[in-house]
Amino acid sequence: MSESLTPFNHRPDPVLGAALREALQPRDPGGAAFRSRVLAAAERLPVPVVDVLARWAHLGIAAAVAAALVTGMLVGRVGRQAEATVATTDPGAVVAGVQVPDASFLLAGYSER
Amino acid sequence: MSSEPQRPDEAARTRRDADEAALAVRARSGDRAAFGELVERYADQARRVARAVLQDANDADDAAQDAFLAALVKLHQYDAQRPFGPWLMRIVSNAATDRRRRRTVRRSESLQEGLVAGGARPDAAAERAALNDRLRDALAQLPPRRSLAVTLFDVEGYSHAEIAEMLGIPEGTVRSEVFHARRRLRTLLADWREAE
Repeated sequence: MSESLTPFNHRPDPVLGAALREALQPRDPGGAAFRSRVLAAAERLPVPVVDVLARWAHLGIAAAVAAALVTGMLVGRVGRQAEATVATTDPGAVVAGVQVPDASFLLAGYSER
Repeated sequence: MSSEPQRPDEAARTRRDADEAALAVRARSGDRAAFGELVERYADQARRVARAVLQDANDADDAAQDAFLAALVKLHQYDAQRPFGPWLMRIVSNAATDRRRRRTVRRSESLQEGLVAGGARPDAAAERAALNDRLRDALAQLPPRRSLAVTLFDVEGYSHAEIAEMLGIPEGTVRSEVFHARRRLRTLLADWREAE
């Protein structure tokens, strides 16, 4: 042990530290039984109200995000349909958008007769 | 008596602190495996610190268990920007001190009586066991704060500043507590070494 021990000594004393460590060391170093005991006791702990509220909050946030996504998709779809409707109010576009039917389809009835 | 207080270098300590903070955050969100890992890392230290105050190994284990459970319940109060060890050791110190306050004091003999009595020394193992008993006895006779200060500093390797924060006292008071505890324990240890 160091002889120069003063209140201002800022270094740990290795000899005293080792002696104390040995004196305080649990009889089962590593303490598997102790750890099992603590973990078993932890399992028996009642779930704190704060945790319950936190879980609800998480669920609420997840639900809100999902609802926002669905709403966004719906709004987007409606918007696109509205744009399409607006586009078809132009008569020229209506005429241009109509596809000319296949002539063979139109004449099929005559050929069967 | 081979192991010394572990003072990992700064980089290793920073990595360890970050790792343990992450474990604590996981444990806080209900990850029992993360909590188990923290118990694994700190079980021996918590039991030693509690025993410095309580002397009896069973009492110390009960206090250490109380502390781990209290830590689990209070994890939402833990600041993940700071090291986990000092935060936990503060809870262990409080649990051990509270238990000591509550329990009936079972004092058998004073430290000086033990030193003077000496007794038979059949072999080295028995002699060492006797020294361990006397050291624990000496620690138990110190005020709890003094036992904690010297154990946290010389055994567990925490700094004066960290201990000050754990015990809620000024750093200068920690230095003083360590000094007085060492002075008391040094007499005991010197007596044993001379007898070797």
